[in-house]
Parts: sequence; structure tokens; C-alpha cells
Amino acid sequence: MKTGAAFLAIVQVTAMVILSPLLVGLMRQVRARMEGRVGAGVLQPWRDLRKLFAKESLQAEGTSWVMSVGPVVLITSSALVCVLVPLVGTVTFPLVPDDLFVMVSVLLLGTVALALIGLDSGSAFGGMGSSRHMTIAALVEPTVLVSVYALSIPVGSSSLSLIVDARLVDPASVASPVSLLALVALFIAVVAETGRMPVDNPSTHLELTMIHEVMVLESSGRDLAWLELGSWMRLGALLGLVGSLLLPWGIAGDVTPLAILLGVLMLIVKLVVLGSALAAGEVFLAKLRLFRVPELLAGSFVLAFLAVTASYLVVQG
Amino acid sequence: MAVLVLFPLVVCLALAASTAYSRTPTLCRFSGLVAAATVTVSGIALSAAVLNGSTPTAGGLLRVDALSAFMLTVVGAVGLTATWGGLPTRKAPATSWTYSTLVTLFLGAMSLAVLADNLGVLWVAVEATTIATAFLVGHNGTRRSLEAAWKYVVLGSVGVAIAFLGLVLLYAATVAAGRPTLSWIVLTQGHLPLDPSLLKVAGALTLLGFATKAGLAPMHSWLPDAHSQAPAPVSGLMSGVLLSVAFYAILRVQAVVDPVLGQGLMRGLLLTAGLLSLAIAAGLIIAQRDLKRMLAYSSIEHMGLLALAAAIGGTLAIAAALLHVLGHGLTKSSLFVVSGRILAVEGTTQIAGIRGLLTRRPAVAVPYLAGMAALLGLPPFSLFFSEVAIVVAGFQSGLGWAMAVAVGLLLVLFAGLARHSASMTLGRGSATPADLTPPDLAPHGPQLPLLLALGVTAVVGFATGPLSTLLTQAASLLVGAR
Amino acid sequence: MSASLFDQLIGLSAGVLLLTSVLLVWKRSLVAAVRLLALQGAALAAMVAFIGVFERDLPLLAVAGLVLLLKGFVLPFVLDRSRIQTGAVREETPLMNTTSSLLVLSLLTMLAYLVSQPLLTLAPGPTTAAVPVGISLVLYGFLILTTRRHAISQLVGFLVLDNGIATVAFLTSGGVPFVVELGASLDVLLVVLILRVLGGRIAAEYGGADLDELTELRD
Repeated sequence: MKTGAAFLAIVQVTAMVILSPLLVGLMRQVRARMEGRVGAGVLQPWRDLRKLFAKESLQAEGTSWVMSVGPVVLITSSALVCVLVPLVGTVTFPLVPDDLFVMVSVLLLGTVALALIGLDSGSAFGGMGSSRHMTIAALVEPTVLVSVYALSIPVGSSSLSLIVDARLVDPASVASPVSLLALVALFIAVVAETGRMPVDNPSTHLELTMIHEVMVLESSGRDLAWLELGSWMRLGALLGLVGSLLLPWGIAGDVTPLAILLGVLMLIVKLVVLGSALAAGEVFLAKLRLFRVPELLAGSFVLAFLAVTASYLVVQG
Repeated sequence: MAVLVLFPLVVCLALAASTAYSRTPTLCRFSGLVAAATVTVSGIALSAAVLNGSTPTAGGLLRVDALSAFMLTVVGAVGLTATWGGLPTRKAPATSWTYSTLVTLFLGAMSLAVLADNLGVLWVAVEATTIATAFLVGHNGTRRSLEAAWKYVVLGSVGVAIAFLGLVLLYAATVAAGRPTLSWIVLTQGHLPLDPSLLKVAGALTLLGFATKAGLAPMHSWLPDAHSQAPAPVSGLMSGVLLSVAFYAILRVQAVVDPVLGQGLMRGLLLTAGLLSLAIAAGLIIAQRDLKRMLAYSSIEHMGLLALAAAIGGTLAIAAALLHVLGHGLTKSSLFVVSGRILAVEGTTQIAGIRGLLTRRPAVAVPYLAGMAALLGLPPFSLFFSEVAIVVAGFQSGLGWAMAVAVGLLLVLFAGLARHSASMTLGRGSATPADLTPPDLAPHGPQLPLLLALGVTAVVGFATGPLSTLLTQAASLLVGAR
Repeated sequence: MSASLFDQLIGLSAGVLLLTSVLLVWKRSLVAAVRLLALQGAALAAMVAFIGVFERDLPLLAVAGLVLLLKGFVLPFVLDRSRIQTGAVREETPLMNTTSSLLVLSLLTMLAYLVSQPLLTLAPGPTTAAVPVGISLVLYGFLILTTRRHAISQLVGFLVLDNGIATVAFLTSGGVPFVVELGASLDVLLVVLILRVLGGRIAAEYGGADLDELTELRD
């Protein structure tokens, strides 16, 4: 069991390391094509990473060890998330809990590391970006917790692999109102957590609108490469989680080569579908002004809360 | 017998339809009056039939017992006072056809409400009165009357919707008990095993909804606006009839709920609403600057008193409450009619703007003073006897503290109303005694209906015979159902 | 229709009712509000139809048609005409901002579940399990009525209240007697028409339908 789980973990991390930049490239390409531009190609993020890895990382005056340790923390937390979330298969280590609370805490670790990097340089931009980032993170946490809790009530456990397994066994539960409400809320939370439109524009460099971009402004070279890869892997893992919950088919139940291969292929398909949908949606959305973001997140919290109450409808009825 | 039950409804509907269709001046002027007269006659006939021992029914939805017959008579009598007394003089502009149609429909809806056995039909009729009076309240078309009409329709409809939710839950309780029904007689006599906790919620909601329509605090905020902005006869109809019928609905619901839950829930809710209404009316009465608004707050006071009577329960209190409904209805409609005449001749209803009515316009002031004396509860008017009976019944059933508070508040209201009335009627008409205008002796409207109304109120306190039998029978219907 | 399919259909229509109500509280656009109300009416009619098919109760299907006609088409149409008459597109100044309204919404949902406990323990079943949704709609209607200033928003709140009561009625007992149902529907229609006319007159007198300007009557 342990070797199988270890193998699966390695497969998931490797797959996400390879696929996340491609996912981001695909999203940028979809957006470009829809906006009438040629686009830089799906492989562009990999090219950027290759360039960044070859460069030396410079650190500004007055920065501390946080600037070099932070990116490592971020990439580690992202890799851990890729291990915990059932992307390719639901076989887990017996003693490592793939509980949703653990996943949320690990995500938060990465969030805090990013925020500290933004603060460390002592510039006004960095501080502003970090404070906005932490505000949004604080508002998103309740939604993520409550929506996955809603999904866990029918199963009776908050272990992610058990939840996905249950949905695999009973496909009709995917279309129940509980599931739909919880997934909509989770999707909004994912958009906020990963800094996509309408919460944050990933391609902006205007000081009034930057949130994520401004925290990585002072990083360069290898540090920046880790930061970018870590953020992309977070996006990939969270989209993969939504995909596993929404479309659980293809997830490997045991560690056989055929099942793993099928799992990886289905993961690619789900990421392509969800990523393209997200990118297409972004073309039509305008970025929300910052004081409107709490409204959006409160709305997603209410939807998640209603999902929890609706799940009692099914339990008692 | 069924014909007699349906007669007032059919007449009202026919009159309304013909007024709306033909719009002749005669019909417009008299259709409300004829409708009210028909309802009164039917009420008296049905009361006689009930006293003879029969219980006329019609179609399974309508049923006339002693309480219904009495309330029908009240609706008719008050309606007659308001419509007859409110007939415009020759010089005033003619009544519009919309006004007449709506008043006739209003009387028909009120009659349907008191004749209904099915609580759902009762609800529909009460909602129909909101609809009929909506445009009547805003009839003047001024900014204030539009504001009053909006508030009235929204608050009234929301209240009635809450009552509907209560009725729905009540129906669900009967479904769970095995016999789905909304018929009052089945609910009270059928000994259905209704679930207590569901009935608690249903009873509270229904009470809340009908209490909004009755103008009990804290859901009273629409009442001063609506009753002060509506044309005077309409205010009389609303204060005298609409509030009374809403109170009647509360009594019917109480009779359904109390056998199952005991008196505690309804008594507690009605005590709170009654004392709160008295307190709010007492607190605000002295600050009133408008005559009709003052009369509206007096209506809140009397509805609070009726709520207290319902909370006390028992034959004496309920019979006194029903007598009070009659007395208050006749008195309040007369006072509103007179206030309409004051507005027509003085041009204002501001209390500060009216002076020395008794010397300047005695034919208007004397009915006003007589009506006010009746309203304040002075003997020989029946309100004196009904108020005393309610207080005695309260002391007898252990609610002495509530009665003490109520009497104190009634004294405050007495003082406020008396002060305002004195400032309007007594004394000279103007500062200079050299004002040589002779007093205006014209009554500005029919005096006979006011005379009849106040005369009945004066006499009925001493009345024995058929009326007291009817009242006792009606009260025992409600009490005996517990 | 099998019992589990019935369960799911009832759950689905209850979910749509809840979702439309949440969006009504969330969004401030009056145009969207009218459309959401129409969707809510259609979901309610669908729920009634499902109950009618499951219980093999033909008159209930007729009632479902009535509900669809009234709440899905006529009332939203009247509301839309009224909105066009007042010329407003958005609720500009509500009394409570969106975030607070949404949080209060969660509290009201909990309250609705608490209040409907007696009914749930009395008659457990798939239909009664959705009664809290109806009571939630009543409370949301109250929320909209009390925290909005525009006349159309208050009408929307009133109609949500009425939809909630209708939901409870149909779920607990397959509706009330037909006569009462007919009378109640007619009353709602007339109330909305009256409020439309009054709103028009208010807009003409005051130059806008912001009800907070109606403050001349006071003690």
C-alpha cells in the first residue's frame, strides 16, 4: 500500500509540474485567440521558466533570508497540495491525512509565504499587494471550508479521497442541489485564491489593480522561477480538485499502470476543459473593484452555507 | 335559508356591478347606502332566525351562527351610519363611480368575511377588503394620501400573507390529523388530534397576521396614516367595520387554538398586543395635531381594549367585547362623518385651526360632542358598560394588574381626547368679541343617521331581551368551544 | 415516477428556488430581479407538477398550470411594465449593503430550519424535508422588503414572500382547497396591480419611486 501510494504521489507531483505551465499557457492562448491576437503559444510559460532558471537571482538591499526561503516554501506547499488532492488516483498514505483541513492549511502556508515575500522588500507596492492578498485569503477560507464540508456530509468524512470515491460510486449525487451549490461556491473560491479574474487580473501591471503580480515584483532569476511555478501548480491542483469533484470518472482506484495512465489522461482532459472554460469566461469579465470583492466572496459563502443546509434536506428526507 | 344568507352578498355584488357599468349619478350617490341597508336588514333577519334556534348555511362554505349574525348586523349598522351620514350635500361635488363601487364591494367583502365558516374564505374576504380600500384611501390623490395608501397596502398585504401562512400550517396540521379541513365548525367541534407544536406556530402566525389588519401594536403604523388620509366616510367604515371584522377573525382563530393548547399562548400574545396598543395610543394622543389622526389613535386604543377582552376570555368578557364592537363602531363612524363635515366647512382638520365650534357651528359641534362623550365612555352610552364589564371580568380571572394598567392608560387617553375636543368646541370662535357673524346653524349633512347611531349607542347599554340573548349566545359559542 | 426520482426532482426545484432568492438579495439590478422572479415562479410550478404526477392528483396539475401562468408570466410582466414606467434600472441606495445582506441571509436560513422543526418531526418525508426552503423564502422576502427603498424592490420582496408561502402550502398538504387557492392567487395579482398604479402615481407626484422620500406623515 505504501509503495503504491508513494508511486501515485510521485506521479501526481510530476504530472502537475509538467502540466501546470502548459495549463497556464493554454489559458493565455485561449484568451489571446478570443481577443483576436495570435498569442505566444502554449509552451511559452516553459520557455519563460527555462530562461529564469538560467539567470542569477538578485536580491534588493534591505531584504532578508525570507526572499530566498519564501519561494522554496511556496513550491513545497504546492507540491504537498498536489500529493494530498486526489488528481490522478485516490490511494493515500495510511498515516498522512488527506483531510480537507490539512489541504487548506497547506495552501495557507503558501499564501503566507507569498505575502511575506511581498512585504520583505519594504516597498510600498509590495506591502499593498500583500495586504490585499491576505484580505482575500481571509475571506476565501470560510467558503472553501464550508463548501467542502457540504460535500463531506453525505460521505460522513472530510477525507478528500473518500469524498471522490463516494462520488465515483454514486454519479447521481453529482447533480444534486447540494453538490451543485457547493461546487459553484468552490469554483468562486478557487478563482479568488489563485488570483484570476474577476478578483485579480494576472496580466496587469497597473499599480491600482495588481495583487499577485506586485508580490513577485522584486524577485528575479531562480527565485522568480520557483514562485511562478508554485503559483501555477496551485492553480492546477485546485482546478484538478474541482475537476475530480465535478467529473470523478477516470480517477484511479488502485495503482496499476493502466489505471494510472487513464488517470493522467483524464486529468489532462479535465484541466484542458476547465482551464479553457475559465479563460473564455475571463474574456467577458471585468475585474471587480477591490471593495466589491467581499460581496462576491460573501455571496459564494452563502451558496456554500446553503449547500450545507440543503445537505440536511437529503439526510433527513 | 340559504337565500337569506346569500342575499346581502348578491345585492352588494349586483349594486357594485351596475354602478360600475351604468355610472348614473343616482346609483353613484345611493348604491353604498342601499348596500348597507340591505346588510343591516339581513343581519337583523338572520339574528332573529338564529335566536329561533336555526343555523342557516349556504354551500358548505358559509354558516351563520349567533356571532356571525351579530357581526353582520354591526357591519350593516356602521356601514349605514357612514354611508348615509357621509352623503354629500347638494353643493358638494358628486360622488365618483369608482368610489361608490369600491364602497359597495367593501361592504360585500366584509359581509362575506363574517358569514364564512371556512377560514380560507374568511381570509380571502379580508384580503379583498384591503384591495377594495386601497384606492379609497388614496382617493384624494394628494402626496400624503398616496403615501398612506402605499403603506396601507404593503403592510396590510404582508400581514394578511402571514395569516395565510398560519392557515396553511393549520391545514397541514389537519392533514396530519387525518381530516383535511379549514371549516371552523369542524375544527372546534370535531375533536381532531391536532399536533400542539405545529398548532402553536400556526396560531401565532395567524394571530400576527390578523392583528396587523386590526391595527394592534406593534403592527399599527399604517393605521393613523390610512385613517387620517382617507375620505371621512371611508375612515368611518374602516375604523368601525374593518378593524372589528379583523378582531372577529382573531376570536374565531382563538376558539380553534385554545382547546388544544390551553389559554396560555393566545392570552399572552393578546395581552401584550393590547397593553402595547393602549400604551402607544396614550403616549401619542396628546401630541396629535390633526383631528382625524387623533380619532385613528383612539381606534388603536379601543382595539387594544378589545384584545385585552379576548385575552381575558370567559362569557362576560367576550359578550362585553362584542357590545363594545357595536358601540365603538357606531360612535367612531359618527365621529368620522362629523369630522368630514368639519373639514368641509372649516377647510382644515388641524386641531389648532378649529376654534369655538359650539358657538359658531352648533349643528356640527353638538353631534361631535355627543359622539366624543360616547367615545370617552361616559354613561349612558354603551361603551361605559362594556368597558366596566371588561375590567370586572379581568379582575375576576386574575388579570387584575393588566386591568389596572389599562385603566390608567384609559384615563390618560380620556384626558387627551377631552382636552383636544374642548379646545376645538368650547369658548369663543375668535379673539375679538366684536365678531358679529351669526352662528351657522346648518348641519351640512343628514343628521338623522347620527341621531340614530348615537341613540342606539345610548340605549343599547341598558338593552335586555333579544340583544343580550344574542350576545350571550355568541360569547358562549366562542367560550364553549374551549 | 419512482420515489428516489421524486426526491431528486423536489430537491432540484427547491435548490432552484433557493438559488434565485439568493441572487435576488445579491444583485441590485431590477431588470435581473424581474427575470429571477419569473424563474422562481417556473420552479415553483415545476415543483407542484412533480407533486401532482407523483401523487397522481390531476387537479394539482391544473393548479401547477395556474401557478406557472400567474407567477411565471403575468406577475413578472406587470412588474416589468411598472419598472419601465418608473424608469429605474438598479436599486441605487439600499439600506443594507450587499455583504451584510448576504450574511443576514445565512442567519435567516438557520432560523427557517429551527422554525420548521415541528413540521419536520411531525410528518417526515421528501416533501416536508423541503419546507425549510419555503420558510427561508418567506424570511428572504421580509429582508428584501425592509432593506430596499425602491418601490419595485418592495414589490419583488412581497412576491418572494408570497412564493415562499405557496411553497410551504404545496409541500405540506398538496395545497389548500382549490377555492382558497384561486382566491389567494387573484388577491396577489390584484395587490400587485394596485401597487403598480400607486407606484405610478407616486412616481408622478414625487418624481421618482424612492420610497424614503415619503416622510410627510409622522407624529
